[in-house]
Amino acid sequence: MASERLVRLLGLLAGGEGPNAVRLCVVAAEVTRTTGAGVMLLADGRPQASVCTTDEVSSLIEEAQYTLGEGPGVDAHRLGMVVSEPDLAAAGGSRWAAFSGRAFGGGARAVFGYPVRLGVVRLGALNLYRDEPGPLQGEEHVNALVMADIAARAVLAAQAGATLRAFHIDIDEDLYLWGAVHQAAGMVSVQLGIPVAEALVRLRARAFLTDRLVSDVARDVVERRLRFDSEE
Amino acid sequence: MADQSLLLRSLVELADNLVDDFDVVDVLSLLSHRCVEALGVSAAGVMLAGPSGALQVIASSSDAMRTLELFQLQSDEGPCLEAYRTGEQVVNLDLAAEGSRWPRFAPRAAAEGFRSAHSFPMRLHRRSLGALNLLRAEPGALSEADIVAGQALADIATIAIIQHQVIIDAQTLNTQLSAALNSRIVIEQAKGKVSQATGTDMDQAFRRLREHARNHNLRLAELASKVAEGTVSPGSLDQLRSEK
Repeated sequence: MASERLVRLLGLLAGGEGPNAVRLCVVAAEVTRTTGAGVMLLADGRPQASVCTTDEVSSLIEEAQYTLGEGPGVDAHRLGMVVSEPDLAAAGGSRWAAFSGRAFGGGARAVFGYPVRLGVVRLGALNLYRDEPGPLQGEEHVNALVMADIAARAVLAAQAGATLRAFHIDIDEDLYLWGAVHQAAGMVSVQLGIPVAEALVRLRARAFLTDRLVSDVARDVVERRLRFDSEE
Repeated sequence: MADQSLLLRSLVELADNLVDDFDVVDVLSLLSHRCVEALGVSAAGVMLAGPSGALQVIASSSDAMRTLELFQLQSDEGPCLEAYRTGEQVVNLDLAAEGSRWPRFAPRAAAEGFRSAHSFPMRLHRRSLGALNLLRAEPGALSEADIVAGQALADIATIAIIQHQVIIDAQTLNTQLSAALNSRIVIEQAKGKVSQATGTDMDQAFRRLREHARNHNLRLAELASKVAEGTVSPGSLDQLRSEK
């Protein structure tokens, strides 16, 4: 059973008309009370693609980071830390000289980057912006942390070919036996000689294909009833 | 019944750790192990509430899956959840008698051979961060002295979490909790690799990581990261002293 906050956020994600990915960003902006949001994928420290953006400015913010290789999302991903610039004007470009200029020019006055990751599996960042200066406070910050968490699972689920229903179950189950899921990923990583990120996707893919819970597949792996290298 | 001299030594050891540069998961694992020895219980686990509010195991005296699951179940019902929500100790509960109170947790724990469960809230400025949880197979209650010691250990766990912050605002705390839990995920990923590469169980895999880190003056988090990322081979860790 998930916490109230998580239930509420998942409920918001399930609602609405648009495709899944867009909803992720829309909800992220809503629950953090920011003007716009984007989820950026990075690999080897470099921006690769956008999962979603809510408006032109958040698209600009992602685009600028791809082009310039600097910004809150890039830093958050690289450092594995929350990065916050609550007043772009005051910072005067001392932080990200080129990026700040573009973001400010586009109308952003505050930008924030939250790492999207699960352990060493660093997928990218959640970019948030506001058209007024000011930090993310209390609940907004907590919701940002949770949305970044959800985004990480959403990305992995999408890579594994999940349906929306399967994704919701995945989030729920993960709370119980997340230890086992990550241990299993470590084991599969060694069995197949692949990175842990890919192992996490493979576990999910196997679960979705066989209509089982990811945690059940994980348990089978950890208790050595299931090996991924036996069929290769 | 608490082993007083062992308890004293444990408190000294933990205090020593806390005044130094320390790794949160490492210290909480140590704390969990010392709980078991000093309080005469079968298993101890520290659970922390992440930003979502859900309780998750951050450290445990045993990495056996069944034990971890018993702690993790308590994110849903059990003494841990109650202690976390109410900020009150939940002690000396006889699992055989609490089937209606905890319809899933109590029978599961009893089936694993435990007789009683106890939880001590980890509180900071009127906020609950999580709880220190004990499981006991032996019959009998925790004494008054045990209960006092248990709460002291829970308080030490809280101190470990806030990591030297003198004034801690909710913002920083939330960020820190999130980081601590992510750090645990890295460790789980590393454990899996070590377990597979060396053919050992998760308990031994974790002990290898901790010992190797200590032997080479590395932070547990740092070593776990390198193993999980692949820059340190999981099969290259030092053998446990007990294996030699």
